[in-house]
Amino acid sequence: MKTASKIYTGIIMLFLFAPIIILLIFSFNEAKSLSVYSGFSLNWYKELFKDAETLNAVRNTLVLAVSASLISTVMGTAAAVGINKLRNKYLRMTLDTVTNIPMINPDIITGISLMLMFVFVGRLFGAATSLSFWTMLIAHITFCLPYVILQVLPKLQQMDSSLPEAAMDLGCTPLRAFFKVEVPEIMPGIVTGLIMAFTLSLDDFVISYFTSGNGFETLPIRIYNMTKKTVTPKMYALATIIFFVILALLILNNLVDDEAVAKSAKTKAAAKKEHSRTRKIAVGIIGGVLAVGCVFILVFSGSRTLELNVYNWGEYISDGSDDSLDTVKAFEEWYEETYGQKVKVNYSTYASNEDMYAKLSSGAVSFDLVIPSDYMIARMLNEDMLLPLDFDNIPNYKYISEDFRGLYYDPDDIYTVPYTYGVIGIMYNANVVDEADATGWELLWNEKYAGDILQFNNSRDAFATAQYKLDLDINSTDHANWDRALEELKAQRPLVKSYVMDEIYNMMESGEAAIAAYYAGDYFTMVDAQAEDVDLRFYYPDHTNYFVDAMCIPSCCQNKELAEIFINYMLSPEPAIANAEYIYYACPNSAVYEDEGYMEDLGEEAIAILYPEMESFRELYNKYAYRNLDNETLSYINTLWETLKIG
Amino acid sequence: MRKIIELKNITKAYDGQVVLDNINLDIYDNEFLTLLGPSGCGKTTTLRLIGGFESADAGDVIFLGENINDVPPYKRNVNTVFQRYALFPHLNVFENVAFPLREKKVPRDEIEQKVQDMLALVALTGFENRSVTSLSGGQQQRVAIARALISRPKVLLLDEPLAALDLKLRKDMQAELKKIQKATGITFVFVTHDQEEALSMSDTVVVMSEGRIQQIGTPVDIYNEPENAFVADFIGESNILDGVMLSDYRVAFSGHVFDCVDSGFSKREAVDVVVRPEDVDIVAEDKGMLKGVVTSVTFLGVHYEIIVDINGFKWMIQTTDFVDVDEHIGLYIEPDAIHIMKKSEYSGLYGDYSSFSNELDELSDAESESEE
Repeated sequence: MKTASKIYTGIIMLFLFAPIIILLIFSFNEAKSLSVYSGFSLNWYKELFKDAETLNAVRNTLVLAVSASLISTVMGTAAAVGINKLRNKYLRMTLDTVTNIPMINPDIITGISLMLMFVFVGRLFGAATSLSFWTMLIAHITFCLPYVILQVLPKLQQMDSSLPEAAMDLGCTPLRAFFKVEVPEIMPGIVTGLIMAFTLSLDDFVISYFTSGNGFETLPIRIYNMTKKTVTPKMYALATIIFFVILALLILNNLVDDEAVAKSAKTKAAAKKEHSRTRKIAVGIIGGVLAVGCVFILVFSGSRTLELNVYNWGEYISDGSDDSLDTVKAFEEWYEETYGQKVKVNYSTYASNEDMYAKLSSGAVSFDLVIPSDYMIARMLNEDMLLPLDFDNIPNYKYISEDFRGLYYDPDDIYTVPYTYGVIGIMYNANVVDEADATGWELLWNEKYAGDILQFNNSRDAFATAQYKLDLDINSTDHANWDRALEELKAQRPLVKSYVMDEIYNMMESGEAAIAAYYAGDYFTMVDAQAEDVDLRFYYPDHTNYFVDAMCIPSCCQNKELAEIFINYMLSPEPAIANAEYIYYACPNSAVYEDEGYMEDLGEEAIAILYPEMESFRELYNKYAYRNLDNETLSYINTLWETLKIG
Repeated sequence: MRKIIELKNITKAYDGQVVLDNINLDIYDNEFLTLLGPSGCGKTTTLRLIGGFESADAGDVIFLGENINDVPPYKRNVNTVFQRYALFPHLNVFENVAFPLREKKVPRDEIEQKVQDMLALVALTGFENRSVTSLSGGQQQRVAIARALISRPKVLLLDEPLAALDLKLRKDMQAELKKIQKATGITFVFVTHDQEEALSMSDTVVVMSEGRIQQIGTPVDIYNEPENAFVADFIGESNILDGVMLSDYRVAFSGHVFDCVDSGFSKREAVDVVVRPEDVDIVAEDKGMLKGVVTSVTFLGVHYEIIVDINGFKWMIQTTDFVDVDEHIGLYIEPDAIHIMKKSEYSGLYGDYSSFSNELDELSDAESESEE
């Protein structure tokens, strides 16, 4: 019985802590992959401290957490005192319940409703952008408040109600009585409330996501937005550091609580020493947090300068890590040198075109520059969400060769400047797949490799593989076309190991699967992290898919000229090459792909894959890239996709 | 003697329920005054009014001739010892006692001296650095008194300060409180529901019931000359009977005419007659003014408490003579043992021992304590 309970406890512990232990181990991993442990290294910690954007996000998160927790602790304590003083029992019960609602309310609802309120109030006052640091602060205070009240109220109720009266009787004004007698009594509750508020604010994602504004990006949002290019292990390092900081806070909090327990148990002299010491520590910590908070707030609310709000994919700009160019910083310096005026780039990130679209169309934010993908550009143009560019401000547009102009989403080159492009190819593990079989889309239907094949878990991409294989039009509105593709996918289903999106990285790197279609640029990420017994290769089938991400200026832009200057800067050789090297996608900028140094660094194999030879990019692209389909067709595709998935 | 506090026509209600109904009370310098009454009688509310924690709906609180209705507690020259002491748990004994002086920014060495003197007065020298939560109930009580007295208030208010102590400690503290009051010369206003405590400590006892003052007087007056049936019953034990004043010094009750020492009633006025149990002598049946049968006998150490049925009315008699249950006895009552009271709203409610039992009495005592 005893051993059974020990084993049981062990299993529970394992469940609770295994994820953290794994995170901890891989933060010291030399390699980039989650499937290979290649030795101890502090590399990722070094990388972390070189990553200016992430450190900035950490700073933002701390500024927010410190200010939100301090303010909510003060407000929450005041509220608890008020509730405790109420004589009317029903009013008191009602208030108790009302303060608990934000706690039981799902975060997503709190987030959405706060965003709606901010936008509504912002509109009322005619503000161009209603979401900012301040709205996020209000949101965080809102959800921290109940937790503080919940911690402080019981301490007030436990307190002998004649204590404040005694203090007043002995010469204190009510306010002084509160600070001299009540506050020391309820201090354990206040400290616990403060720490809870701090940790809650620190790791909140959902509410922050809905209420964050231009350029103020917290850490959870930044990590989420990295998913376009997989989360780099330096985030494991960061998570490890945060884990230990929080752990320290928790231990400290328990010390304060123990003190309260010791006190109520009336243990004598020995407990007393301990007691005053933990109290001193607690007071010290609170003082420290306060001081740090003030400094941060001072730093944060420093001088205002010209601002540019850039909204881009996560991990989609050279950010100074790995000794690369910190593009944003370089632009700020260059601008000040050239124009003699300071500019501050507020750089925010998103994880998908849809996220970006939702944020922009909510009207709650204003960005000066976005970098969406082709089909999203088409949709935004359709909805008048983009402004025509003044190419007089973008002389570097000359680097975009004829081949990358006149693309279908912007046929007259009025609104967009291409940033990256990519081609889908097929990758395979040469240790499993016969070289001779590695040709065309047929490899994904090859019965020899049943159970080793990965397919997209997304209707448009999955259907496209079948349509390319059958040489069908991927933008067709003809149901018969899609029915045929479905038949093909049904035939493939028994061979498919699983339908995946981001999991493809780990499954291919570890050798768990052997065949998948994906973007060329991402293939290199996987090769970098592949396990020892895996040998990934890549080739292009005859017809395949292309994408372009392009810089454009949304209609909510506040400083169009500055945005155009930024676009022009991004096109100039040095930052363009740095970005291309960092992102590792193909670049449509001739200053990049005609640069000998860059091409040499890539090497022949990478060039062949990233920049496959083609007669005319425009022609292939306009023929094979996805276009926006009408709703009727889209819903028909979805029905077919369901039947495939349900089988 | 000088009046320190005057309460004039004080009325107070909570949620429409009257807790103080036209209270008039003078409190004199250097007096030990006790507010006595069952729980809910308004005694604590009266104390809180003087302390400044409550305000009256109508009426005035006068302090040394000045109206202090709107003066907050921290500006009143009055201090309170709270029922559960209300010591500050985060401060040690010294700091608790020094608290009022620190608030007044008294110089350090003066504080040191005063606190030491005060701790000596309450016999707590050597406890300076102890945590107040590590003290016994009696010790905490002394700290509370020391803290309340250190700024030399004109009046010290004590809200049932002994209620939480056990019997032995309580007796000691009663004596000690009296001693401290004499030593300091400060007026004490003491709230209790324990009549014995009130009688033994006070210069003046104020008996309260249902928000009204029933009687103000010295302990002896209150005991010997109760104003009405409530006071007679609440203070000590009493047999209270319906009687008729035949003329001055002659009263009829229980079917017998007695000589008494009271006069000034109108002819044939219906009155309440009080006879204390210890004032009745037991004699042979044929020699008694009244005759009855013993229904119960309880031995209480100093005396027996017996219940005697006389024509259906049960008397309580305390005697050192042993009688047996069912024995027929006679009762003899001296004229000065008979106390005549005017009829009041309390007439007929008290003074019959038909349903009396010691257990029940203790039970209801305990109840009234826990209610406070």
